[in-house]
Amino acid sequence: MSQNHNIINATENLIQEHFDLEPSLEKVIWVNPELSTEVRLLEINPETFPSGMVQSFYFPASDEIPCAMFLAEVRPEEWQRILRNEIPLPEGWTLANHKIYSREPVAV
Amino acid sequence: MSDWRHWQTAFLQQARCDWDAYQRTRQAAWPSCHRLLFLQMATEKLSKALLVGGHSKLETIAQSHAAFVNFMRVVGDNRKLQEALGMKKAQLRARFKRLLPLAYEIELLAPALARGGPNPEYPWQDSSDKILAPVAYPFPLMNQLQKTPQGVQLLKYLEIFILRFEEFFI
Repeated sequence: MSQNHNIINATENLIQEHFDLEPSLEKVIWVNPELSTEVRLLEINPETFPSGMVQSFYFPASDEIPCAMFLAEVRPEEWQRILRNEIPLPEGWTLANHKIYSREPVAV
Repeated sequence: MSDWRHWQTAFLQQARCDWDAYQRTRQAAWPSCHRLLFLQMATEKLSKALLVGGHSKLETIAQSHAAFVNFMRVVGDNRKLQEALGMKKAQLRARFKRLLPLAYEIELLAPALARGGPNPEYPWQDSSDKILAPVAYPFPLMNQLQKTPQGVQLLKYLEIFILRFEEFFI
């Protein structure tokens, strides 16, 4: 399996795990998923403290994600402001080619 | 060494100095305001030491005092930390989630976030128009940090994050 496939699988597993662990998590945006050297995730969560900016925290490569990971959380209204370019993304991040993951609907 | 690494080292150096000052204030009858001031500053610099490696512009990081709560929200994902503390991700995230109310109280100590209320640096006017100086205010947070399990845990983890930063976060 190629390095890219490893990263895609690992990242999607991590995203699913975050949905499982965080009931209030609404969406996860994988920013610039074409990158093979790092993973950039933006999580939309109404429980996050509003900071008015995108605070992206660095995580070193691990057995879980085999490359550097950058993780940021924003509130839904902050995500809307990002889409309107009112809140800038971190340097080098673009929404030109992002993936959006939503919570799987739970069958009742 | 890249530029952001230099900034990270500098933020960490200052976080350690602030943490050391907080520890020193334990040994004498220092007023709560000074103790909490050092603690708030240590948590802010710690969080920014990690943020500065995350593509954020330095001026964006510098313009806000709010970083510690968001740091505590995500730090449970750190694999090395999970291994060192002997906890799975779900356990560690749940543990840190229980500490968020206290982390929030610490973050709100920054005068810019205190909304004209209690803070460890500047006098404020309370709802009955009484003007208070930080040195004369009892700061219930101090007791919560010293005498509740959550407070003791949060301080213990802070010490680990600050003193063993290179082991977990680089």
